[in-house]
Amino acid sequence: MRIEEFKDMIYACGRCNFCRGTDFNERCPEVFTQLWESSTLRGRMAIARGILEGQLDYSDDLAERIFGCFMCGRCREECKKAAQIDAIAITKAMRADFVDKGVKIPEGGTNMVDTAIDSGNIFADTPARHTKWAEGLTFKEGSGTLFYPGCLASHRFKEKTNILVKVLQAAGYELDFLGDDQTCCGTPFWISGKVGNAKEWAENYLKKLNARGVKEIITPCPSCFRAFDEEYPALLGLEEFPIRIRHTSEVLEEIVDKKKLKFKVSLDKRVTYHDPCEIGRYREIYDPGRKVLSSLPGVEYVEMSRYREEAFCCGGGGGVKIMYENHSNKVAEERINDFIDTEADILTTVCPACEMNLTHGTYAADVEARVLDIAELIAVAAGIVDKGILEPDYFPED
Amino acid sequence: MVDVKKITQLLSDATSPDRVTDKDFDLISYSRDLSPAKQKLPSHVVLAETREEIQKILAIANKNDVPVYIRGGGTSHWDAFLPQEPGIMVDLARMNKVLEINERDLVVTVQPNCTWAKMDEELRKRGLTYLCSEAGGPAMTVGGSVMKAGGGPHSTAKFGFHGNQDVICLEMVLPNGDVVQTGSAAWPSAGKFERQCLGPDLAGMFLGAEGILGVCTELSLRIRPAVDFKERLSAVLPTLDDVVEFGHFINRHVGDEYLQGIYLWVAPDTPDLFFIMMDIFGYEPEIVKHRKKKILDKIAELGGEIADRAPADDYYDRILTGLTDLFTAGVWHFFGAGSLRIDDIKFLYKIWREELLEKRGYTKAGFGGQVLPRRWLAFMVTNYKEPEEWEELVKMADEIDEMTLKGPVVPYGVGGRDGLRQFVASHDTGYYRLLKTLKQTLDPKNILQRGIFIPEEELQ
Repeated sequence: MRIEEFKDMIYACGRCNFCRGTDFNERCPEVFTQLWESSTLRGRMAIARGILEGQLDYSDDLAERIFGCFMCGRCREECKKAAQIDAIAITKAMRADFVDKGVKIPEGGTNMVDTAIDSGNIFADTPARHTKWAEGLTFKEGSGTLFYPGCLASHRFKEKTNILVKVLQAAGYELDFLGDDQTCCGTPFWISGKVGNAKEWAENYLKKLNARGVKEIITPCPSCFRAFDEEYPALLGLEEFPIRIRHTSEVLEEIVDKKKLKFKVSLDKRVTYHDPCEIGRYREIYDPGRKVLSSLPGVEYVEMSRYREEAFCCGGGGGVKIMYENHSNKVAEERINDFIDTEADILTTVCPACEMNLTHGTYAADVEARVLDIAELIAVAAGIVDKGILEPDYFPED
Repeated sequence: MVDVKKITQLLSDATSPDRVTDKDFDLISYSRDLSPAKQKLPSHVVLAETREEIQKILAIANKNDVPVYIRGGGTSHWDAFLPQEPGIMVDLARMNKVLEINERDLVVTVQPNCTWAKMDEELRKRGLTYLCSEAGGPAMTVGGSVMKAGGGPHSTAKFGFHGNQDVICLEMVLPNGDVVQTGSAAWPSAGKFERQCLGPDLAGMFLGAEGILGVCTELSLRIRPAVDFKERLSAVLPTLDDVVEFGHFINRHVGDEYLQGIYLWVAPDTPDLFFIMMDIFGYEPEIVKHRKKKILDKIAELGGEIADRAPADDYYDRILTGLTDLFTAGVWHFFGAGSLRIDDIKFLYKIWREELLEKRGYTKAGFGGQVLPRRWLAFMVTNYKEPEEWEELVKMADEIDEMTLKGPVVPYGVGGRDGLRQFVASHDTGYYRLLKTLKQTLDPKNILQRGIFIPEEELQ
C-alpha cells in the first residue's frame, strides 16, 4: 500500500486536535460538510493507522471521507505547529490505494481521468472549442514563453483568459500557445488516485514542450503550475523541472513592479482577495495578488476574515467539485459569506477553479457581485477593456 | 452486546440520521485520545446538538443498557473519555456556541464544546476576557477542561484550576435525564451570578468527576475586563531549592493577582538546569512594572539569571509541555503527575532523576510543572514512538506512577482502565465510598462513562 511510505507521519499524529480548529468547522471544509471526526486530519490518521494495522479496509463507504477532502492544506498548515504531517501526500496515497485495490472511487473522479485521456481535456471539448478563447489573439510560435491556460481557463473562462493574454501581451510578453496540441496537465490522475498513466503523460508532455523550444511556462491555473513544477519532477525522478514555471500572479506582480503598464482608469471599487489554496498555503504565494490590487487606482482593499494561511477553501479543491458537488457548493457559499461580510463590491482571486466555484457560490447565496481574476482589474485599469466588466450586472458571453 | 442496528435506528429517530454513525472508519477516529491508552472503539457516535437530544440519548441508553461516553476535544491525557466498552459516544462538537455574554454581571455562558480560544475571542471583542488559559492549548474545550478540572499557565496562580473559582453555574443532564442547574441558576427566578447560593455547592460535585455524574450542557463562567498588560520573563535558577523559594515568593508576595505563577521545565539532558517561565499580568502598566521589578530582584537574590525568552514563547504559543519538537519526535505521554505542596516538588524531582534518568536510563522524559495557588501541578512528559516503544513506555510509566502516588502527590486525572483508576480504587477511602454512593444513586445502571474513574466491578 502506498500509505506505508508515510507510516512515520501517520504514527506521529499526537491527536492534539489542532487540525480541527477552535470553532469546530471554521478551518476544514471537509468537516464543514461531513461533520465527523473522520473528516479531520486526526481522524484520517486514525483511519490510515487502522488500515496499516489491518483493522480497516478501503471500502466504498469510506470513499466519501477520503475523496471528499478538498486538499486545501488548512490542516497541514495547522499541523506545522505539531506533528508536521503532510495531509495532502497521505490523502493522495490513500486515493491511489483505492484504485490499486480495485475499490470503487467516486464516478466523477473516474470520468474526469477517462475524459482527459480520451479528449485531452477534462471537459471533452474538441480542440476547436477548447481554443475558442484565443480567437482574435496572435501568438508567437517558438518564442520560448508558453502561455498554458489549462482546461478550466480554456473551457469555462474564455473571456477572462482572453483578457489575461491581452494584459500579458500589452505588457510586452511574447507568448507561444500550443493551440490544438494543448492537453490537460495531468492533475486528474493524482487527484483521483488513478496514477497509472501519470508518468507516461508527464514524459510525453515534457517531450512536446522540449520539441517546441519552451523555456518558460506561464499559467493562471495553480494546479497546472504545481503539476509542472512539483508533480512532473517527482514522477520523472528529476530534481526540478527543466522548464521554468511561473504562475500568473508572479508575472502580474512583475508587470506592476517594472511598470510595464500604465494604470490610468480608476476602478472606484471596494475589493477583496481570495487566496487560492494551491498557491497560497501550498507555495506561500500570498503577496503578489495583494500587491497588484494595491497598485491599481481607485481600489479600496479589504481583507476577508479568513485570509492568507488561514483562508477558507473555495470548495473547488481536491476534485470535490466533480465528485461531491453538493459539498463543494456548500463550501463555496460559506466562502461567499466571508466575502459578503467585507461589504466589498468585487471578489478577486488568481485561480480559475476558485473563480468558478466562487461564482457558483454567488448564485447560491443570491449575491450580485463579480468574481474576477486580478488580471481583469489590471486590464480595466490599463484601459485594455471597458470598466463595465466590473459591474455586477455584467454577464460575459462565455 | 450492543444491538448495533437497533441502537442506530433509535439514535437516528432521537436526533437525525445524518448525525448518527456506526461505520467502522468513523468509529476508529474516536478510539484514542492524547494519551497512550489502548484503542477503544465505541459502537456508535452521535453528534448531539441540544440538551433535549442528550436526554433522549440517555433514555435510549438506560432502556437498552448501553453505556454512554462523552467526547469533547478528544485530548484527555489519561483515558478519561474513551469508551471502556462498546457503547454510544456522544460527540459534543456541535454544542460549541457562546450563548450569552453578560457584561453587567461579568458572566459568560457557553456550551460545553466551545473552545477557550473561541470564547476569549468573543469576549475580547467586548473588552472582556476569561484570562485563565488551558494547558492543552487554545483548541481545548471549556466543558472538557472544567469537567476534568484542568489548569493552565495563565492566571492559575490566582484562580487555580478551571472551575475552582470561576464556575458560576453549570447545567448538567443527569444519567436519568433530569436537568440540573447549579449555583444561583438553581433558583428558577434568579439569574446566573453566583456559585455558592442555595445549600451545598453542587457544582463542585461535577468538577473533576470526568463526566461520570452528568453530562454538562452549559457553563457560566466569571469573566473580567480585558485591560491586562503582560510581560514575559524566562530565567534559570541555580537549584531546585531556589525554585521552591521562588514559588513561595510568588504566592506570598506577588501571586495574589494576575500573575502567571511559574512554569518550571527541566530537560533530561540538563537535569541541574532549572528553567522557569512566567507571564506577569496586571491591570495597570505600573503594576506590571512593579511586579517585574520584585521578580527580577528575587531572581537575582537567588542567584538566578534572566534567560532567552524564545523557549517561553514556544511554550505559551503552542501546546504546553516544554518538549521542543512536539510530535515530530513521537507522541506524548504525561506520567508521574499530580498536585502537591510547593515544598514537595523535590519528592517528584527525586523520582524523575533517580528512578527515571539514573536507574532506568530513560533520558527522553522532561520534568515540568506549574505553580497553582499554594501548590504545584507537576508531571513528567516524554515523546515516544508508536507503536514500537509503547509497551516499554507504559510499563515504565506505571512503575513511576505507583512510586509517585505513594508520596504526597494527589492524582491529577483518573480516567479509565489505562488511567489511574486502579490506584484510586486501591485507596478505600471515605471519599471514594461516597463517590461510589453518589454514582450508584444518580446512575443505577452505570450508563454514563461506565468504567471511567470507578471500575465497573466496584459498583456491582
